[in-house]
Amino acid sequence: MDIFLQSVVNGILAGCIYALFAMGLTLIYGVLNFVNFAHGELIMWGAYFLYLFISEPFSLPLSVAVAPAILCTVCLGMVMDFAIFRPLRKADRLTLLIAAMGLSFLLRNAAQFFWGAEVRTYGLEISRGFQFLGVSLTAQQILIIGVTVACVILVYLLFFRTSLGKSMRAVSDNLDLARVVGINARRSIRAAWIVSAALAGTGGILLALDTNLNPEMGVINLVKAFAATLIGGVGNLWGALLGGLIIGLAENLSVLVISPGYKDAVAFAIMVGILLTRPYLVTGKRTD
Amino acid sequence: MSKFKALFAIVLLVLFVASPVRAAQDTIKIGAAFALSGSIAVYGEGFKKCVDLAVDEINAKGGIKGKKIQIVYEDNKSTPKDCVMAVRKLITVDKVPVLFGPAGSSNFMAAAPVAQQSKVVMMSAQGTAEKLTQAGPYIFRIIPSNAKQGQRLAKLAFDMGYKKVPVMYVNNDWGLDLKDGFVDSFRKMGGVVTDVIPFDEKKTDYRTELLRANKGKPAAIVNLTYINEGSIQFKQAYEMSIKTQWLCGSAARAPKMVELAGKAAEGVIGTYPSIPQDTKQYKAFKEAYKKKYGDDKIPIFGDYNYDMVYLAVKAIEKGGYTAEGIRKALPAVAKGYKGVTGDKTFDAKRGMLNADMGLWTVKDGKIVDYKK
Repeated sequence: MDIFLQSVVNGILAGCIYALFAMGLTLIYGVLNFVNFAHGELIMWGAYFLYLFISEPFSLPLSVAVAPAILCTVCLGMVMDFAIFRPLRKADRLTLLIAAMGLSFLLRNAAQFFWGAEVRTYGLEISRGFQFLGVSLTAQQILIIGVTVACVILVYLLFFRTSLGKSMRAVSDNLDLARVVGINARRSIRAAWIVSAALAGTGGILLALDTNLNPEMGVINLVKAFAATLIGGVGNLWGALLGGLIIGLAENLSVLVISPGYKDAVAFAIMVGILLTRPYLVTGKRTD
Repeated sequence: MSKFKALFAIVLLVLFVASPVRAAQDTIKIGAAFALSGSIAVYGEGFKKCVDLAVDEINAKGGIKGKKIQIVYEDNKSTPKDCVMAVRKLITVDKVPVLFGPAGSSNFMAAAPVAQQSKVVMMSAQGTAEKLTQAGPYIFRIIPSNAKQGQRLAKLAFDMGYKKVPVMYVNNDWGLDLKDGFVDSFRKMGGVVTDVIPFDEKKTDYRTELLRANKGKPAAIVNLTYINEGSIQFKQAYEMSIKTQWLCGSAARAPKMVELAGKAAEGVIGTYPSIPQDTKQYKAFKEAYKKKYGDDKIPIFGDYNYDMVYLAVKAIEKGGYTAEGIRKALPAVAKGYKGVTGDKTFDAKRGMLNADMGLWTVKDGKIVDYKK
C-alpha cells in the first residue's frame, strides 16, 4: 500500500511539473495558434537565470534570486516574441513551427556556451523527506505542489476575473473578431507571453530545485508537456493541468505493473490514443 | 571584367584548395569524434582535457619526427546519428587515418562500421560493451570489457553477503551488457536476482523506479547507472528514506556524481577497471594534469584517453601515417606497453588482454578505493 500511495504522490509531483509547462505552452497556442517548441528553453533558462543570480558576482540568497530570475525569463519570452514571432505574425503555422524549433536550438546552445554542457546544481543541502502514512515528501516537493496550486489560482483569477483576461480569452477565441470589437490584441498577446514565460521560469526553477540543471532539461520534459497539452485539448488551460496530472500519474503507476523501460511508452500511448479519437486537436480546428 | 573574374577564381582556389593541403603537410592530424555537447558532454569535456594534455606533452618534445600533432575535434552531440556524421566527416573531409571514437558503447558501435568500411583505425578509451570491436580489424579498444566487470560485481555482492538483489540498469548497450554479465555470474554463484528494472537515460524523475527496486526492502540494490542519472537517483532515494547498500558499475565513479548527489552518494560501493595508482606513470600523469588544469580531479576515463593518444602516436611512429600501417603497428607497440592505465597488450579481439578490477566507494564526499 505504501508503494501505491507513494507512486500516486510521485505521479502528482511529476504531473505538477508537466502541468506548469503545459499551461504555458497551451496559453501561447490559444492566443497565437502555434506550438512554441522553444518553450522548453524558457524553462531551462529560467532555471539557469536563478543559477546566475545565486552565483558570483551576484551571490544572492536563493529565495531573493527567484524574483529577478523569473523577471529575466519573462524578458526573454518577450524578446523571443519581439524578435522572432512578431515579424512572423501573419506567417503560416509551419513557418512558425520551424522558427520555434530553430529558436529552441539557438537558446539551448547559448546556455551551453555560457554555462557549459555539464550538469549543475543549486547546491542545496539534501534532506530526508517528511514521513506520513508511509509516504515521504521533501520540503522541495511540497513547494512544487504548493506553487503549482498557487499558479493555477493566479492564472484563473487573471483569466476570469480581470478585463485583461477577458480580452485574452477573446483574442484566443477569434483574433479578427476581437480586433473588430476594439480589443487591444497586441496587449493581450504580450500578456500571454508574460504569463507563459513566468510559468516556464517557475516550473524550470522548481524542476532544478528538485533535480539538477542541464541545458537539455527543458526539451526532455517539453515532449511530455506537449502530450499533456494534447490530452487536455490544445488551448485549454484546465485541460493542460488535467493532462499533466494524467500523464504524471499514468507513467508512475504503470511502473508498478510493467517494466520501467516502457514508462515513456505509456505516456505516449495515451497521447496517440487521444490523437486518434480526437484528431481535430492537431488540425487546428477549435474544440469549442 | 574577365580579369577580375580570374583574380576572384585564384583567390577562391587559394582559400579552398591550397591552404588545407599545406596544413596537412605541417601537422599530423588525428581525429576525435567526442561528445562536446548533448547528454554525455559531461564526459566529453574531461576526455578532451586529457587528450590535449598528452598532445601538448608530445608536441613539446618535438611531435612525431618534428611534425606537430593536431587533434581535429568533431562534436558528436552524444547521439548515434551525429556520431556517424562526425566520424564520416573526419574520414572524408579531414582525411585522418586514425581517430578516437565516441564515448558510450551505443554511440561508438553506431559509428564503428563507417570507420571499418573506410579502412580507418578507430579507437575507444571508454567503450566497454562486449561487442564493441566486432565491426572489424580496424576497431580497437584500450579498456577492459563489461563481462569482466560484471563478474567482479557479482563476486562483490556475494562476498558482502547479499544473496538476493534487484538490479537497476540504464537501458542502453552499456547497461544491458553489464547487467547480463552480472546476472549470469551472480546466478552461477547461487545468487537470486529478485527484479530487473531498466530505466531511461536523461530523465529527471526516477522515484517510481527506485520505489519498485526497494520493494521488500532489499539489503542491497545493484544500480548500473551514469553520473547524472546516478546523482538524481541517490538523491531521490535519500529523500524517500530508502536505506540500502548501493552497488554500482564504473560509469558512476566520478567526482561530479558525488558533487551533484552530495551526502546521498555516501557509502555507495562499485567496481571499475582498476588502474594501479602507485605506478610512476600514474603519478607523473596526475602531476602533469594538476600542473595544466590546477586541480587533481582526473575526469572519468581521462587516464585511458591519455594512454590512447600515446598508443596512437607510437603506432604512427612505427607504422607510418597510414591507416594500414597504424592498424598493423598498434598491437606491436601496445604489447607490454605500460601506460597510465597499466598493461595495454591487446587480445585477439583487439580488446585488453589484462583487466584488473578495482572497487570504489564514496567516503566523506570523496571517491576512494573500497577496502573491506
